[in-house]
Amino acid sequence: MHNKKYCLITGASEGFGKALALECAARNMNLVLVALPGPELHYLADFIKRNYHVDAIAIEQDLTSEENCIAVYEFVKEMKLEVNMLINNAGLGGTMLFSEGNYSFYRKQIKLNIVATTLFTHLFLEMLKENGPSCILNVGSLGSYFYLAKKQVYGATKSFIYFFSKSLRRELKNDGISISVICPGSMNTNISVTTLLKTSGWLSRLSVMNPEQVAPIAINGLLNGKEVIIPGRLNKIFLFLNKLLPDFIKNRILSRQMKKIQSVTAIEAKQATIVMTENQNALTA
Amino acid sequence: MKIFITGATGYVGHQLALTLANNNLVHILVRNLNSPHLPRHKNIRTFAGDINDCSSIENAMQGCEQVYHTAALVKIFDKEPAAFYKINVDGTKNLLNVSLKQGVKKFVFTSTCGVLGTSVLHPKSENDPRISSFDNDYEFTKYLAENLVKDYVHKGLFTVIVALSKVYGPGIETHPISVNKVIHNFIQGKLTIIPKPGKLETNYCFIDDVVQGHILAMAKGIGGEKYILGGENISYTALFGCIRSLTNTKARLIEVPKILVQFWALLQWMRFKITHKEPFVTGKGIRQIFCNKTFCSDKAVRQLGYRLTPLREGLQQTIQFLKPQNHAQ
Repeated sequence: MHNKKYCLITGASEGFGKALALECAARNMNLVLVALPGPELHYLADFIKRNYHVDAIAIEQDLTSEENCIAVYEFVKEMKLEVNMLINNAGLGGTMLFSEGNYSFYRKQIKLNIVATTLFTHLFLEMLKENGPSCILNVGSLGSYFYLAKKQVYGATKSFIYFFSKSLRRELKNDGISISVICPGSMNTNISVTTLLKTSGWLSRLSVMNPEQVAPIAINGLLNGKEVIIPGRLNKIFLFLNKLLPDFIKNRILSRQMKKIQSVTAIEAKQATIVMTENQNALTA
Repeated sequence: MKIFITGATGYVGHQLALTLANNNLVHILVRNLNSPHLPRHKNIRTFAGDINDCSSIENAMQGCEQVYHTAALVKIFDKEPAAFYKINVDGTKNLLNVSLKQGVKKFVFTSTCGVLGTSVLHPKSENDPRISSFDNDYEFTKYLAENLVKDYVHKGLFTVIVALSKVYGPGIETHPISVNKVIHNFIQGKLTIIPKPGKLETNYCFIDDVVQGHILAMAKGIGGEKYILGGENISYTALFGCIRSLTNTKARLIEVPKILVQFWALLQWMRFKITHKEPFVTGKGIRQIFCNKTFCSDKAVRQLGYRLTPLREGLQQTIQFLKPQNHAQ
């Protein structure tokens, strides 16, 4: 067990976090997987241990509380797990008009997307320095480049992550820690998002990627020390056009695409069969 | 005992209905009373209806203590993707609702190992996570239906899920590319194509085991649990090698690389756009074909007493069954 380095992934039981866990396992990395309490996390850890011959440790914690974030760190220290990769993936998405959502949801979004990311990075900074060369991957969103209706709070939290990552990168340059931010577009991460994406405009539908397609791009970018990782050709084109097109055209395209996307709450009412869980995953853009 | 079965004109439901009818009174709900696939037995009562029509379910299910829900829209692609949701999800929900209302004691839902997806090193078990996203509406809607079936345990309905791998063996032909059909073509000496590399492994379960597995799941299954009813895991090369040794067929076996199948899928897609003929393979569905899909039935063996017929024995019976059809043609 000595000199074994670990990659810690938050929000690892579903969606993009799970895809990142499987990708890292396939690259022979030991894993610390953190996610909301539930059996899925343990099933994933067991599966990884059996099929990839790496170590996988499951920690059940709800990271919307700061005490729980600290508890994860304490546990990792106590177990003497040498973390040299930190992936702050846990996040809470949402597509709704500002007036449709309640404040407690927005608060939860801010706590998970902003507070937990900041706290985890702060807690693990020393450990990452000691175990260097190390790297941090923060999961932002393509949405942080665009001002989108129904994504106000979400987009703002992801903008925080983008700004935070790029700024911190300049500080940590000489400490052997490389910090990257990935800005994925829409992904089929869980049932509610998959259903949601079926209702969106053709342009956004065309750009949807599966988490298992994005995960290798993310890890390659991270290991190559890329500052910003944009997965997908179409997403790159969006960003390029964003710089090129005048505002009035951009606004028309975006509002037409977004109008077709129903609020998650509206979908829930319609699709009683689909259980929407406030999972810890990055439901991006 | 009175037992209700959906999908009795399907491959598995047909055999299940006939087996159960030996000792029970079986109610079957069918869309077409003139279907050539109707199971015929003195203990089978046929009701016309549809799983999307609740009153027809209520009528047919009356007085039944047990429900087997084997009906589903089973194919890789449909012109109307909504059909998968309507039949596989809404239909299942209707059956669950009526079962709950009528005080059905136990409900067994037939699902597919496809929900578990592809395997990596070891065969997949019930709790193993998927490693890739759903790439077809069939598997996705079966997954949604499984969740529904599990949810109804909390509402007070005793439900058990059985997940089947690729079923083969004597029975009716209802699917355009069933394992039986592939075996039939091969023993007739027709050129057979398999994915490259031929060492990719898949799981094949024998129809008689699956029928018994359903009955065992009903008798001994734990409420809310899922059981894989599989068979042996074997590579394409070894499978056809085994069939060859049993029949001495001279059929040629060709390993086809992914790129060719991708091209074929593209052609099929273009044909679909022009003639509206539904494709056999889709660009998205190809990834699955070129992966291992191995499964482990240990839980069903342990908890239900599920029995796996050795593949060679199952193939022997299947070939026996397919041969007379051979001569008739």
